[in-house]
Amino acid sequence: MSFSSLPDASGKRWRRIFLYIGAAVLLYALLAPLTSLEAAQGAGVPLLTDKLWFRIATIIAMFVVMASAWNIMGGLTGYSAFGNVAFFGIGAYTCAMLVSRAHWPLFLAIAVAPVTAAIFASLIGVPLLRLRGHYFAVASLGVSVAVGEIVQNLEIGAKPVFGGATGLFLPIFRFDNRDLLFFYLMVAAAALTVGITWWVLRSRFGYGLIAIRENEEAAAVMGVNTTAYKVAAFALSAALTGLAGGIFAQWNVFINQENVFPIEYNVQMILMALVGGAGTLFGPVAGAIVLQVLIQFLSGSLPISADIPFVPPDARPVVAQVILGLLLVVTVVFVPRGVIDFFGGQSRLSLAYLKRSLRETSV
Amino acid sequence: MRAVEAETNSQLELTGVTKRFGGVAALDGVTFSAAKGEILGIIGPNGAGKTTLLNCISGVYRLDAGDIRWQGVSIAGMAAHRVAGLGIGRTFQVVKPFQSMTVRENAAIGALFGSAEAHLPPRQAFQRADEVLELVGLAHKSALAVTALTIPDRKRLEVARAVATRPKLLLLDEVMAGLNHVEVDEALEMVRAVHATGVTIVLIEHVMRVIVGVCNRAIVLHFGQVLAEGEPTTVLRDERVIEAYLGERYARRQRGE
Repeated sequence: MSFSSLPDASGKRWRRIFLYIGAAVLLYALLAPLTSLEAAQGAGVPLLTDKLWFRIATIIAMFVVMASAWNIMGGLTGYSAFGNVAFFGIGAYTCAMLVSRAHWPLFLAIAVAPVTAAIFASLIGVPLLRLRGHYFAVASLGVSVAVGEIVQNLEIGAKPVFGGATGLFLPIFRFDNRDLLFFYLMVAAAALTVGITWWVLRSRFGYGLIAIRENEEAAAVMGVNTTAYKVAAFALSAALTGLAGGIFAQWNVFINQENVFPIEYNVQMILMALVGGAGTLFGPVAGAIVLQVLIQFLSGSLPISADIPFVPPDARPVVAQVILGLLLVVTVVFVPRGVIDFFGGQSRLSLAYLKRSLRETSV
Repeated sequence: MRAVEAETNSQLELTGVTKRFGGVAALDGVTFSAAKGEILGIIGPNGAGKTTLLNCISGVYRLDAGDIRWQGVSIAGMAAHRVAGLGIGRTFQVVKPFQSMTVRENAAIGALFGSAEAHLPPRQAFQRADEVLELVGLAHKSALAVTALTIPDRKRLEVARAVATRPKLLLLDEVMAGLNHVEVDEALEMVRAVHATGVTIVLIEHVMRVIVGVCNRAIVLHFGQVLAEGEPTTVLRDERVIEAYLGERYARRQRGE
């Protein structure tokens, strides 16, 4: 009946084996795309990649950014933001407007995307972060829906400001290895997000955020400027999400309300952070990778996807959502600290653990 | 305007502090001051407004009327973190530890933020945390999760976190409530040790032994007003105080009526 006893030697060994395998897979995933280069092909390295591979890998990296960025607000600060997709959309539209209308260079536009998202987050954060718990979650969800609608419907003199329902088309930049470029851009954004989280976890800023999460009143009387810290965390989370949006806009070439403000992203990024382990460095990363692969599999986008019994192929995306919802419930109840808890040397997966979690999470 | 205030010994000055919750005046024109280096006890029956008073001083509540001055500067209506920044630390009667952190991390938060004198970078903050845990007698438990602490230890941790902020004034809200005799003695030692580092202390307490044991002066609150003020043993013998605590009939009987 050991709940949090230290793992024995064999448990440690398995954990290490898991880590090595994980690292090897990650390394392969990062380097495999290079085989699409002409030089690599010329050197006789077998071609390991195709368009589909790039698409999925880039989307996974994008969700690593979103889940990790959400983690700064939802995991570390304890404010369940349910509308982070607003920042993704704002980043995407910023980049798209700057490139397609103002003809800015691509990389400059991508660099500005997080700035607009952060400014927006700071502005709405001041009133929104006076709310706590469910109220904040619902209010932020409302904001994300509203922003999407405003972006689609805003007109000045009967002319849509942001492309209206048609959306925005971006000029296609001619790169030799377009897929490769965007894959690595998104991976760089993911690395940046994880790096920033790593720094936050060690800094005064991060300790302040965790203190706010654990007890906001106690944090305040100990000298934490709770309002400023919450707004800063919200803005940081928004900036990183906006960065992913900016890269996405340029990668996808076409954006509209549907593809950059999807409500289900809100749920997915939270689910990824929670399943992996909210408040930890690698939890959201692991959650994003595993769940995005699962989502792609369930919705039939993976080449290896098998038939799901009793489910017609066109209903698969819906089934995917249902399964994700169930997974969220099971995770929150039985593995409240996320699966990373089993790899961090704290706990072991056992019936006793699940029972204990059930008792802890039930009222 | 008065001329520059003469060099006074008083650090904390409350004048006419009033706080209402709906129709109830939890504090009704409370006026008193605390001198530098003093240990001031605040006593009073349940609901007298003691905790409300601390909440007003530490910036958790806003006043409805009156003023609170700290070292000559008004802190009424100031945000809690700014009050902490000026060197006023406090504990909570119902302890509010940071659950997911260890004992050491809890204390370190005080040193990472706190007053302008604290505000240390993480590495030094943890050293400071070790010092204050030593001071309150929790050093040997610093690596434990707070959930593993007993109630007396959690109260010690409240004090440790507040002391880590390097306060000039420490507000203690019933840190000895619910402790047994031995634990109260240990806690008294702790308060004396903190006081010896040069901190002015204002403490709320129900345990009269504490008031008599460490306080230079005591103030009795009753229905949000100052009922009596003075040397602890004198105050506790005051008839109005006995009446407030034990009822009018009891007071009359004591007088032999």
